Amino acid sequence: MTARLFALGLLALALGCGGAAGRSAPLRVDRQLSGGATTLVLVAAPGVRINARVKPSLELPDGTVLRFDSPHLTADSAYFTRPPTTVLSGSERSVAGTLRASVCSEHELVCRTVTLEL
Amino acid sequence: MLRASIPFLFAFGAAGAGSLALESAGRAHSRELPPAPEIGRPAPAWHNQSWLNAGHPLTLEELRGRVVLLNFWVFTCYNCTNTVPSLVDFDRKYRDRGLTLIGIHTPEFPPYAGEHDRANVERALGQYGIRYPNAQDNDSRTWELYHIRFWPSFVLIDKRGNIRYEGAGEFHLNDGNYQLWQRRIEELLAE
Repeated sequence: MTARLFALGLLALALGCGGAAGRSAPLRVDRQLSGGATTLVLVAAPGVRINARVKPSLELPDGTVLRFDSPHLTADSAYFTRPPTTVLSGSERSVAGTLRASVCSEHELVCRTVTLEL
Repeated sequence: MLRASIPFLFAFGAAGAGSLALESAGRAHSRELPPAPEIGRPAPAWHNQSWLNAGHPLTLEELRGRVVLLNFWVFTCYNCTNTVPSLVDFDRKYRDRGLTLIGIHTPEFPPYAGEHDRANVERALGQYGIRYPNAQDNDSRTWELYHIRFWPSFVLIDKRGNIRYEGAGEFHLNDGNYQLWQRRIEELLAE
């Protein structure tokens, strides 16, 4: 009985951890307008790292693929230390496309793909 | 807090509830999750055609009688490449005793990112000293067949072709999870 309760407790803890991870979006895209161009900034939620080895991308409806980048990386060049950006020509008021990024939660030790439709 | 959950993922994998914990952890990025294969069930046969470090496409059937450790990885994944030294070590220690380690190289991104290119995979194998067979899983078919959600992931198959352990997450030479997988490998080799 005690062992069963202990197992249930562990299961609840594991599910609780997973649930916490699932409540907030890992990424968001901010838009900055300047000089007739639109800069998209990919911002990670606290505790989420963006993989710099495979640069995040935005696939536009016309097939164009934009890659996000930043020169600011961890010492091992694995992750961005500042939000990566990409630039759209023109001051688009709305941006549509498929955003892909590989992200790693600081304490999970796994990589996962985030795909967002903008 | 989440660091503490990783050993639970491994532990539940052994108990048959690993899929529950993994699916829960994956909710943030997954839409419809198919049921994970049950522990102890026959491993599904893969049909990858492009292999590296192998003279021919390996099949599950021809590996009957050997313990098989599948490692789902991609060379752009830092957690994956950090784990490679441990896998190279397992291959060195246990290949002659009946372990076949197989890398299932599954890209995260579409082909424009270069993860699908055989030459890039080959370069990564050289860079990390990987001598065990690797299959290119460019269509993610084997990834989906095994209901994998994370890079890196591991599936340990016994000599009869049954899935016995599953897990995910980076580990390092001689750390706790390295020792856990080592015990599992030795257990299945001894059967």
